[in-house]
Amino acid sequence: MEEEVKNNTGQNLGIAALITAIITFVLAVIPCVGLMAIIPGIIAIVLASVGLSHAARTDSPRGVLVAALIIGIVASLISFSQVFVAGKIAEKADKWPDRIEEIVTDVQDKILEDLEDANVSIKIESGDEKIEINTSAKKKDLVEKLEELEGEDTSVVDTLDQE
Amino acid sequence: MKFIKEPYLTINVVLTGVIMLIMIYSVIFSPDKDDYPVTCIHEKLTGEPCVSCGLSHSFSLILRGRVEEAYQWNVYGMRVFLFFALQLLMRIAFSLFYIRFTDTRKQLIMMDIIGSILLFLIAFRQFFVYLIKYS
Repeated sequence: MEEEVKNNTGQNLGIAALITAIITFVLAVIPCVGLMAIIPGIIAIVLASVGLSHAARTDSPRGVLVAALIIGIVASLISFSQVFVAGKIAEKADKWPDRIEEIVTDVQDKILEDLEDANVSIKIESGDEKIEINTSAKKKDLVEKLEELEGEDTSVVDTLDQE
Repeated sequence: MKFIKEPYLTINVVLTGVIMLIMIYSVIFSPDKDDYPVTCIHEKLTGEPCVSCGLSHSFSLILRGRVEEAYQWNVYGMRVFLFFALQLLMRIAFSLFYIRFTDTRKQLIMMDIIGSILLFLIAFRQFFVYLIKYS
């Protein structure tokens, strides 16, 4: 009778350990709650270990206990690895603002470069009337034009006085 | 309480209870009120949402028949929900088979283990990928 009770204790411990280990495994894989799974993981390992020592004393079957112990250990390892996952993501998140700043600067430079070499053409049509304005924003052209204008005689020719 | 002597049946009964609790949790807490008690530890630590964020919302929405919204909350929500739903059915079906067909119990347990592992890997594949990618 006493032996049967002991056997039952070992078996019950095995069942409890296996259920806890399975739940831990499912929880450990989900990143949101993965870190929390380390608590039931440790409980599963302890239950399985106690059950195994019971089983060794009473010479009862250990299949369920060994399965619970293995699943519990693997689940706890997965759960523990979530710490590293969180660490790596946090590390990457710190680098993101710098990278975003770099990208913004690059885009800004490119836009400015494009604008420097831009040709602008504006056409306005109203009925039969047409107005077309062509201008260039090319830095080189503008410098050349400025030099040209500076080289010309800049004295004001006022025609109104002559009249 | 005859089933207590059968570890397989006990495990099945407890796991059925756990899955039922997940379903009840999803029904009780409303996605519109956003009153879920479980928050993402990962997001709290890193400030970045993880691959499983929005899973509770997704489950609640699936149970309310709002599948499209569920997909918006978490793309993998449906897959994980189907895993739990299938597991619930499997626990009941396998328990009944276990009681009825006493000669093929070992084969039944092996089939259950292999089937469950495969389903688990399919449903949680993306979570494993995420884990491997960042660890």
